[in-house]
Amino acid sequence: MIVRGRELGSDVTLDVDAVVVGTGAGGGMALRELARAGLKVVALEEGGYHRPRDFTQREDEMLPMLFQDAGGRTTRDLAVRVLQGRGVGGSTIHNTNLCKRTPSDILDLWRDRYAVSGAGPVEMAPAFEAVERDLSVTEIPAELRNPNNEVLREGAEKLGWRAGPLKHNRVGCQLSGFCELGCAYDAKQNVAKVLLPQAEAAGATVYSDVKVVRVLHERGRATGVVAVAPNAWVTVKARIVVLAASAVGSAALAARSDLPDPFRQIGRGLRLHPGAVVAGRFERTMNSEYGIPQSYECTELLSFEEGSDKRVWIVPAFAHPIGTASMLPGFGKEHMRAMRTYGKLAVLTAMVHDETDGRVSADAEGRPVIDYVMSAADRAQMAKGLVACARLLFAAGAAEVVIPAIPPVRLQSAREVDGLRTDFVRPHGLPVTAVHPMGTLRMGDDPRRAVVDSRGEHHFVKGLFVSDGSLFPTSLGAPPQISIYAFALHLAKHIVERAKSL
Amino acid sequence: MKRVSRRAVLGGVGAALLAAAGGVAVVRTRGYEVPADVAGRLRVLAPWQWVVLAAAARRIAAPDVDDGSVPTADDVGVATFLDSYLGNLPDPMQRDFLRLLAFLEHLAPLGQKLTSRFSRLGAADQDRVLASLEASDQGLLRGGFDGLKSLVFMGYYRDPRTWKILGYAGPFVRNG
Repeated sequence: MIVRGRELGSDVTLDVDAVVVGTGAGGGMALRELARAGLKVVALEEGGYHRPRDFTQREDEMLPMLFQDAGGRTTRDLAVRVLQGRGVGGSTIHNTNLCKRTPSDILDLWRDRYAVSGAGPVEMAPAFEAVERDLSVTEIPAELRNPNNEVLREGAEKLGWRAGPLKHNRVGCQLSGFCELGCAYDAKQNVAKVLLPQAEAAGATVYSDVKVVRVLHERGRATGVVAVAPNAWVTVKARIVVLAASAVGSAALAARSDLPDPFRQIGRGLRLHPGAVVAGRFERTMNSEYGIPQSYECTELLSFEEGSDKRVWIVPAFAHPIGTASMLPGFGKEHMRAMRTYGKLAVLTAMVHDETDGRVSADAEGRPVIDYVMSAADRAQMAKGLVACARLLFAAGAAEVVIPAIPPVRLQSAREVDGLRTDFVRPHGLPVTAVHPMGTLRMGDDPRRAVVDSRGEHHFVKGLFVSDGSLFPTSLGAPPQISIYAFALHLAKHIVERAKSL
Repeated sequence: MKRVSRRAVLGGVGAALLAAAGGVAVVRTRGYEVPADVAGRLRVLAPWQWVVLAAAARRIAAPDVDDGSVPTADDVGVATFLDSYLGNLPDPMQRDFLRLLAFLEHLAPLGQKLTSRFSRLGAADQDRVLASLEASDQGLLRGGFDGLKSLVFMGYYRDPRTWKILGYAGPFVRNG
């Protein structure tokens, strides 16, 4: 059952076994699994409940509806834009449906360096398989590759670089290209379409438009949450509390709930996968806005071996007009001239598998504050990635390549890439966007370095669990949705087991 | 003694300038004319802030031709749309944006040795002021300009009349 919190006219108190905070990949999976196990469970979602008919394919209407802070969330210094979902389904409503498992090397690293137990490649394989079945994950066929993705394939092929097709979770895609604004055709196999109906059928209830402001706990045990709807307070009494409001939202909530934190781990270890774009102008018409936005990847500069200096993932990153206008350098007449080439642009992004140690905290009013200043090593990786993007675009036939730095870098040939100075890769030197926050309530069996144990339970508050990207001890170097779904599924059995003893 | 980084100092300077601009704005809000049909409908912006935003939008989304074939920021009502759009943003973001408008109007021109308010400058001087923010060595001002630019383009390229500049077909659905 869905209850729209904005229709609540008076305060509400609920008494349940478990409350899930957030309804993205982690929250949606936890909700379904706990309901299926017979627990009385509710989920509270800060954003609204939207259906495919609500998705108008207009940026000015969808950004406020589907994104935190209307898409304007940034790091404290305004240098990195952090795009995060808001609403029932979380970021699964607006993501580009990329499906990659957590790399085995990363799972090994977490076991060996971060004391994460029971979650190695072998132990996690059943969860990945189950999630991929649930979400109907398939490889994106070559015939569905749009011109922007073809540019990446062609460029990589000509350079002899490692690249290949991606997998996705769409069924019935109409190739409209508006994935990042919600799918009007309901082709995304996401939380709202797949998990929520299953959770509802198992007896779960979701409250939309209800923002949790505090986790309640007494003498080392979780006892529920307090939340606020537009016209009412919602108090939930529960012996199990599952935080699944993203690496930003969950950490900020933890920070403002006075949880015991003797080793000051809450909010630490933020990773973002910061990315920057390079645009190529072609003589031929591209119309990159249509079709599946991301169906091909280049992994030439990506390795998960410990200590590797290859930490860049390259994928296409085209946007609709408002996003493109914000990305292109400058303003005024020159900017409009550049916008006239919209139909002939291809855009690639270099996303860094980052090591920068960021942090999430809460301000005096309880809002998330994101501190993240890219390390020199990560800036060097981004610079390598941008240079690689320029090479790929020229190899695919671009007539001009533009890096939207300030001032903009305009390259007319591949030869100019060779001597390119990349000192523009610095805070505020070029637009940097992040869509994959991770790692602020990290898991691990050593409480000095982790907030929750390998079963997702808080080290010092029994019954308080985390089930989202906050868990990850390091960057993934891969789109996180499958990892989040799979870890939520993997940990849910521990939550169910724990519910019996609390 | 704790060492203070250059970054922290610059950030502090930027914040102080923005705050100072807010203070200046309190005492310099007269002499702004807003169309009568707009004045009564403003939700977030004060009339003087609407004037400053409209002036900035004219330059940021300036047409590349002067033959009237391209709609201006005024034609598509960028400032009035943004007054409404700002209502979607959390209070702190609104507050920061309004401080930025105050800075742009009252202090940023001084940095270019211009003594008039931004909204009263000629187009070329307004472009100089905006370019100085875009390339400022103070992160908060650069970030503020990015935010202003993104919002102006939100207001401009939301209008179907601008899509033909791009060859963009627009949405396929008529939902909502």
